[in-house]
Amino acid sequence: MKDELFTMMGEMPAMSPELLARMREEANRNLLRMKHFSEMVMNPKEPKIGATPRQEIFRTNKSRLWRYESRRTIRTPLLFVPNLGISRPYIFDLMPKGSFVEHMTQHGFDFYLVDWGVFGEEDNGLSVEDAVTKILPRLARKALESSGASEMSVLGYCMGAPLSASFVATHPDFPLKNYINMAGPIDFAHVGLFGKWLAPGVFDVDKYVDTLGSIPAEMVKMGFKLLKPTMDVSTNLNLWWNLWNPDYVSGFTALNKWANEYLPFPGEFFRQWVRDFYQQNKLIRGELMMGGRRVDLREIRCPVLAVGAREDNIAPPACVKPLIDAVSTRDKEYVELPGGHISLIAGRGASVHCWPKVSSWLAARS
Amino acid sequence: MADNTSQQLLDMWKRQVEEGTQAWLRMMGQAQAPTPTSAPNLGMDPQAFWRPFMDQGMAAWSKVMTQGTPPSPDLMAQWKQFLDQWIAAWSRVLEQAMGTDTFAQLMGKQLEGFLNVSAPIKKAAEQQIDASLAGLGIPSRAQVVALARHVAQVEEKIDALEDKLERILRRLNDTGAPRTERA
Repeated sequence: MKDELFTMMGEMPAMSPELLARMREEANRNLLRMKHFSEMVMNPKEPKIGATPRQEIFRTNKSRLWRYESRRTIRTPLLFVPNLGISRPYIFDLMPKGSFVEHMTQHGFDFYLVDWGVFGEEDNGLSVEDAVTKILPRLARKALESSGASEMSVLGYCMGAPLSASFVATHPDFPLKNYINMAGPIDFAHVGLFGKWLAPGVFDVDKYVDTLGSIPAEMVKMGFKLLKPTMDVSTNLNLWWNLWNPDYVSGFTALNKWANEYLPFPGEFFRQWVRDFYQQNKLIRGELMMGGRRVDLREIRCPVLAVGAREDNIAPPACVKPLIDAVSTRDKEYVELPGGHISLIAGRGASVHCWPKVSSWLAARS
Repeated sequence: MADNTSQQLLDMWKRQVEEGTQAWLRMMGQAQAPTPTSAPNLGMDPQAFWRPFMDQGMAAWSKVMTQGTPPSPDLMAQWKQFLDQWIAAWSRVLEQAMGTDTFAQLMGKQLEGFLNVSAPIKKAAEQQIDASLAGLGIPSRAQVVALARHVAQVEEKIDALEDKLERILRRLNDTGAPRTERA
């Protein structure tokens, strides 16, 4: 057997100096891989996350409004509305030189971040309507007051897009300068796997909420892991491959910390989110009611940018783009960028593709 | 000899993978009922998933096995690429299978079963814990939650009052009406 193996391998040809150098480099990388691996296991370092200076402007119940101050070379500040539940918002300010917040402040935007907070059992009565008609208007007004500006741009990311779109469409008195939808589902008929799994007749949301009260973080995690079952394998494979690179390792540590911190959903919020958005697709149909008013996306009359990510399996481009046809403005643009739901806004790809596009589009209109 | 052996091994492995996939897809009820939900060009033909990276992987390994190419860093890169494509192919297969109505129904039933089992257990556990805490004179979880909810409601009312006051003040400022003070 051994003889046969050697026969199969054939004669080993002489190595060129170039090949020898590359093999030496690979050997060095392997040593670095071992070193970084032992550090990660034996002496794990806490990643430095959310390093951009900020101040708390307002707090109501669990939700906070953060201000990231800039040199204010851009007159109109930006209000950033992320998802409620699921994950923590420090992904937008993950690490120095790898932060959307840092990018925007360096480009002169005063940046206001809505941090919905971590809701507990006592908040199970909080609905989507409460978030849109009570929390968001208050935070938006406080942001406007704090900035001293007369107008404000709003950027909704992920679930934050339908929430903020519902807010701006039902609050015509809010001085909206520009609106951006980044990877936010608008037409839930094209929302991919979640749409199938949460369809009426398949997923009994009432039974779910009535039994569990809230949606535990572990359940949220399970749903997202199931969406891409090979994610953990490919993440670990890429880690092993790049383990020699200290920059990659520090980025991975920060992202990995974020990726494993899931947040629960308040029960009533989840019920309305699934029923009105996923199961009945009320937003794009113009049937959604918030605070006694119909959410009519045609009420959005300012310049609009919608950004979809090609590999997004949470909010596929087909459910992001319809915002463009639903709003009443001529200055509107849809761009589809490489990457997935998270890599659209965080990571090296985002800093090359998405951030410059968003900041330049806004700067030209602010 | 070497050529034939390595080729046979790789062919055998490829056959096994394809047969395994087909069996798996049949089990998911998809071999007969393809859905056009995602990756429509790929259909449900496992060959379409495997062929691109299978051919590449086979070519690379055949080269190593038959020509005696020395192991080099390039080989590692090729192996990494091979694994990436392997994972991507599996991802596509799983995504298609999970995008079917059969899978969604199955998952819905599993969740319902879980809720049917967990609801009475949860209720019984809560009752028992509440009774034990009441015996010790300690407030139950439900009482603490109710208190926290009450605090949140009070905070909400204060915020709403603040909103109203601000609106009134703004209106007064806008109309320029003189403010009266009572002694």
